[in-house]
Amino acid sequence: MLCADGLSKSYGAVRAISDVSATFADGEIHAVLGENGAGKSTLMAILAGFARPDSGQVSLNGIAIPLGQPFACRRLGIAMIHQHFTLVPQFTVGENLALARLDGLAKPLSVSRLAQPALEMARQLGWQIDPTAPTGSLPVGAQQRVEILKNLADNAHTVIFDEPTAVLSPDEIQDLFRVLRRLKHEGKAVILIAHKLAEVLAVADRVTILRHGKFIATAPIGDVNEEKLAQWMVGDLPSALTHGSADQYPSALYLRGLSVLGDRGEAAIRGLDLEVGRGEIAGIGGVDGNGQVELAEVLAGVRRLSGGVVNWDGKPLDETVHTGYIPQDRQSDGLALGMSIEDNLAIEGRTRTELTRGAFLRSGPLREWSKGLLSRFDIRAQSVSDLAGSLSGGNQQKVVVSRVMDLRPELLVAVNPTRGLDLQASAFVHQQILDAASAGTAVVLISTDLDELAGLADRTYFLSAGRLTEAAGASSMVGGQA
Amino acid sequence: MVGLFAILILTLLVLRLPVGDSLTLLYQGAFGSEAGVHRTLVRAIPLVLCGLGVIVAWRAGMYNIGGEGQFVAGGIAAAAAVKPLFAMAQPPAWWVVFLLAGAASIGGGAAWGALAGWLYVKRGVEVVISTILLNFIALQLLVYLASGPLQESKHQLPLTDRLSSGMMLPKFNSQTDLHVGIFLALLTVVAVYIVLYKTKAGFCLRLVGENARVARANRINSGQVRLLSMALSGGLCGLAGGVEYAGVAGQLGSSFSQQWGFLAIPVALLAALNPIWLIPSAIYFAAILAGSKTMAGFVSDGTVLIYVIQAAAVLGLVAIRAYTSRRVIQTEAT
Repeated sequence: MLCADGLSKSYGAVRAISDVSATFADGEIHAVLGENGAGKSTLMAILAGFARPDSGQVSLNGIAIPLGQPFACRRLGIAMIHQHFTLVPQFTVGENLALARLDGLAKPLSVSRLAQPALEMARQLGWQIDPTAPTGSLPVGAQQRVEILKNLADNAHTVIFDEPTAVLSPDEIQDLFRVLRRLKHEGKAVILIAHKLAEVLAVADRVTILRHGKFIATAPIGDVNEEKLAQWMVGDLPSALTHGSADQYPSALYLRGLSVLGDRGEAAIRGLDLEVGRGEIAGIGGVDGNGQVELAEVLAGVRRLSGGVVNWDGKPLDETVHTGYIPQDRQSDGLALGMSIEDNLAIEGRTRTELTRGAFLRSGPLREWSKGLLSRFDIRAQSVSDLAGSLSGGNQQKVVVSRVMDLRPELLVAVNPTRGLDLQASAFVHQQILDAASAGTAVVLISTDLDELAGLADRTYFLSAGRLTEAAGASSMVGGQA
Repeated sequence: MVGLFAILILTLLVLRLPVGDSLTLLYQGAFGSEAGVHRTLVRAIPLVLCGLGVIVAWRAGMYNIGGEGQFVAGGIAAAAAVKPLFAMAQPPAWWVVFLLAGAASIGGGAAWGALAGWLYVKRGVEVVISTILLNFIALQLLVYLASGPLQESKHQLPLTDRLSSGMMLPKFNSQTDLHVGIFLALLTVVAVYIVLYKTKAGFCLRLVGENARVARANRINSGQVRLLSMALSGGLCGLAGGVEYAGVAGQLGSSFSQQWGFLAIPVALLAALNPIWLIPSAIYFAAILAGSKTMAGFVSDGTVLIYVIQAAAVLGLVAIRAYTSRRVIQTEAT
């Protein structure tokens, strides 16, 4: 039995978890549920010794265990199956399995001897594993089996699975659940981190919910249903998520049967329909990873669609429609941190006729324009020559927003535009979006922040597994109906 | 600059050379006389042109270390373009030769660079690897051509026909090698500066090198930009080869390349990939090259010295970079 008692952990100014307690019993599958950023991963990292809590303690069968020492935790029998595999792709399966059990660098290496216990376990679980196959060439599901075997073969009695289903197909998920149940019947404590409700209800015995780093509830699975779990996960819903009706706006953006592939070739958006009028703010909620980024990128013209129709005023959407795009991650997609503020603004400025002459940029007007944006959008910097990377998060986002909003775009696509911003900066960005809409911009606002959607959007949809659902309670919000 | 000087002195100390005398000799050789100054400047020309090539590619995030191969490809193209002129009864004026050689060398170098760029964009081949391999290919091609199709008309030596002095770039002084190519090098510095900092294309090039994801989010085709940057980079290194051919060497042989393409990398790094700073940086390296020749007359280790100093300068630079980027990462983490 593994007990977490009053655990708190902050990263800088961000409180990842505060005062979380939970008990994980032997012979049960205990799911830990929460939205992105709820603190699940931090809690698990502490249990497995990868992170050291600021306060609180962890005990195993009543005895406090050392904190922040992964090797000690492993010796004590706490195994963690990472979401991101810890395998060497160039090694064979056998070599990866042996790697976890190396008994000293000076001793002669016998891969077959070291890999034997893990292969034996594979046989017991009914898995066909070829120890001579190069690990990197295996499909993801098979790699995960190797990852599991690698971590299990020592006599682990507590096994933590960090979002193991994220990369698996439905068949593979069923097989994984079979293994989880088997581990349970062997008397092990199985901890499953998840954010999909259906999976939790299918396999867990008990469930603990975290929200914004706080402990919300622990309950036997028989006492809860999808609605209940969803409500615990997202908290009280804002009262009104719908302000107006679609008919009051002249329609402009028209999506029918949109399909989009993600970076790994998976179907990220599957048959999505949406209409957005001029002046309308269409809110799209849902948990990250359900196709948000892919949808935004198709609208912004930086990703190809694999099927369906994206029209603007009855014609295919293309560069002639002035589209503004506020990407999700300002530091990786929004700004070149090593370039000056002026250069980052010139990303937009280079497309303006009054700031360019043929193939040339006009330095003088470009600088004046940059200074103008700095003062109009209240970007706090010494000068436009400062590096974008030297600004605070809020001011960085203002650089992106000012660039996008300066000439009113016809279509605005914003993904989590206020993530990580303080109240004042958030309010500023929100006002910009509202102003654009009232000036006639069609806005697609993709956000995981329900308050943001409630405050801004005329209508809110939820994106779940690549499809839209109309707002229908908490469970659509967390992808429960997938 | 102080750091470089310190590295220079440290190197002399490690080699157990008399510091004062050595510095005097280096200075004398590089700047002590008109001949010395000319010796230095003529070496700075290929360093500046190849250095510009390095800057253009590296700014786009393409770590082109194939300047040497592109330099040779430029020289080959120049010699091939000029070859028909030797059949003329009256040798043409130097500027005719140079227009032909210069244009051909840019084309040859650009093709060599674009090949690596194309391999990267279409096939994902690392530029560092492909450009190194293309260096070897260019050098072997040179050896083959100089004793084959491009060999001098008497077919005796593994060299191309030699340009007569009237066909080569005019010199300032018949006793030294310095030629009017130095003006071309300076003009090219200005041109590259304008392209990088005053044009849309140059802006996109820098943006792609700085953060390709931002470029993508703003509908800039970074593959295309990178391919063009490699062509431009190769063209500049090729031009260096053409200028060296028409200005100093006059003919091609296996010793045509003097490692200018490799040396240009530390030169460009020392200039922090800035075309304007490239000029003092190239002169610094050229001075050590020129000066160490004088030193070699007095000290047995004289010519080795240049390599030691280059390496020390690059390592010192890498250390400084690593230190500053560590600080940046630490600030971000807190």
